[in-house]
Amino acid sequence: MKFWESLLKIDRRIVFLIVGLSVLIPLIFPFSIKTNVMPPTQKLFDAIEEINPEEKGILISADYDPQTSPELHPMFIALLRHSFARRIPVLVMSSYIQGLGLAKQGLDQVTQEFNHKAMSNQDSIIYGRNYVFLGYPPLWLAAVLRMGSDISQAFPADYYKNRTGALEMMKKIKNYNDIGIIVSIAGSGYPQSWVVYANTRFGVKVGSGATAVMAPDFYPFLQTGQMTGMIAGLKGASEYEYLVNTKYNLTGPIPATRGMSSQSIAHLAILLLVVIGNIGYFATRKRK
Amino acid sequence: MQRTIPLMIVLIIGIAMLVQFFIPHKISKDIYMNFLDWLGIIAAFALVLGLGSLINHHIDKIQRKRENWPYSWVTLIAIVITAIIGLFGGMEGKGPLPVQPQIMLGDKIIQIKYSIQVIYDNIMTPLGATMFALLAFFMASAAYRAFRARTFEATLLLVSAFIVMVGVVPIGYYISPKLPHLAQWIMDVPNTASKRGILFGVGLGIAATSLKIMLGIERNWLGGGK
Repeated sequence: MKFWESLLKIDRRIVFLIVGLSVLIPLIFPFSIKTNVMPPTQKLFDAIEEINPEEKGILISADYDPQTSPELHPMFIALLRHSFARRIPVLVMSSYIQGLGLAKQGLDQVTQEFNHKAMSNQDSIIYGRNYVFLGYPPLWLAAVLRMGSDISQAFPADYYKNRTGALEMMKKIKNYNDIGIIVSIAGSGYPQSWVVYANTRFGVKVGSGATAVMAPDFYPFLQTGQMTGMIAGLKGASEYEYLVNTKYNLTGPIPATRGMSSQSIAHLAILLLVVIGNIGYFATRKRK
Repeated sequence: MQRTIPLMIVLIIGIAMLVQFFIPHKISKDIYMNFLDWLGIIAAFALVLGLGSLINHHIDKIQRKRENWPYSWVTLIAIVITAIIGLFGGMEGKGPLPVQPQIMLGDKIIQIKYSIQVIYDNIMTPLGATMFALLAFFMASAAYRAFRARTFEATLLLVSAFIVMVGVVPIGYYISPKLPHLAQWIMDVPNTASKRGILFGVGLGIAATSLKIMLGIERNWLGGGK
C-alpha cells in the first residue's frame, strides 16, 4: 500500500530534478534525430519559395520578446536565412517594443553569416538594398492599416533614423501589393491580428511562427487558407532549419535542431511522471 | 452634458467608421487616414496618462505601506533609471550624452557603457528567459499531480495529450511513424473545430459589446462617479 501511495506523492523537488536533468543531459550529450517535416511548415516554406525576388519582398514581424525567444528566435533566423539565400527583399519590424533588440541581434547575425562568405559586393547582404529594419510602430493597428497604402508613411524613418522612402529597396516596395508574404513570429495573438487587418482587408498572404502553446489557436486560419503556413514551436523551427539548410546548403548555428533531443526526452519524462501518477491513483483507488 | 457629448462622439464616429469600410471612395479613404492620425495622437496621451497613473499607484502604495510595498520602490527606481538611460543614452548609445563615460577610481579607469540595448541584453533578456523557463518545471509538476484518468472526458484528454506530446517531438516518429500524423490530425480536426467554436463566440461577443458601447447601453468605459 505504501509503495502505491508513494507513487502519488513524489516530492516536487524530485519532479523538478527529473525535468531539469531530462533537459540538461541531452543538451550536453545531444543525439541526432531524423527531422520529419509537417505540412504547416512545408506550406510556409513553399510560399516563400514561390516569391519572385524581382517583384516582391517579404515582411517578417518579430512580434516576440525575450521570454519566448528560445522557441521563436530560431524561426526568425531560419526565415532570414531563407529570404537572404533567395535574395528576396526583406522588411523587418516588431510589434513589441521588446522584440526590437532580438530582431536586431538576428539581423546582425545572419547578415554577418552571408557577408562572411560573400565574394563580391553583389553577393553581399547590404542594408537598404537587401533588407530594411523598420523598427517598432508605437501604434500597431494604425501602422498595419497604413502600410496597405504606403509603408513609408507608416514608418517615415527606419530603426536607424534613415528616411524610409529614400532607401533603395523601398523604391520598389511601396505597400502590401509588393509584399509576397507577411510572417508574424509571436508568442501571442499577433498572427491572428495580421490575418484580420492585413490578409482580410488587403489580401496579402500571412504566415506565422508560433510557440507550441499558441499554435493550436491558429489552425482554424490555416484550414481556411487565411494563414498560408505556420512554424509551430521549437519542432517547427527545427523543421524549417532542416528545409532551408538542406536546400541552400547553408551552415551556421541550428539551435532548434540542437534542442530537439532535449525536448524529446523532456516530453517523455513528463509523460512518464503522468503515467506513474495514474498507476498510483488506480492502485490506491482499487484498494480503497 | 459630461456624459452626453462622449456618447454622441462614440455613436457618430462608430457608425461613420462602420460605413466607411464599405465605401472605397477617395474622400472616404482620406477621412479614414485622418482618423488613423488622430488615433496616434490619442494613444500618445494615453501613454502619458498610463505612466502617471502607474507612478501615482506605486507612490500611494509606499505611503500607505500596503502589502508588498517595498516592490513598488523597485518599479519606481526601474522607471527612473530606464528613462534616464533611454533619454541620454538612446536605443543603441546614440543619445545626446556619451554612452561610454569614464570614471576615475583612484588610479583605475572604469568605463561605463549605457544604452537601452545594454539594459535589454543584460537584464531584460536573462530575466525574461528565466521566468519562462520556470514554467516548464511548474507545468511538469502540475501535470504529474492533476492529470488523472478520473472520468471519461479526463481520459480522452489524457490520451490526446499523450499522442500530441509524443507526436510533436521527433522521437515520436521512432516510436511509430504514424504518431506524428495522428498528432497532426488531432490538431487539424478536433482542435480546429473547438477553436473555431470559441472564435465564433468571441467574434459575436465583440460585435455585441461594440454595438452596446456605440448605442450607449454599455457605459462602463465612461468611468465611475455621477
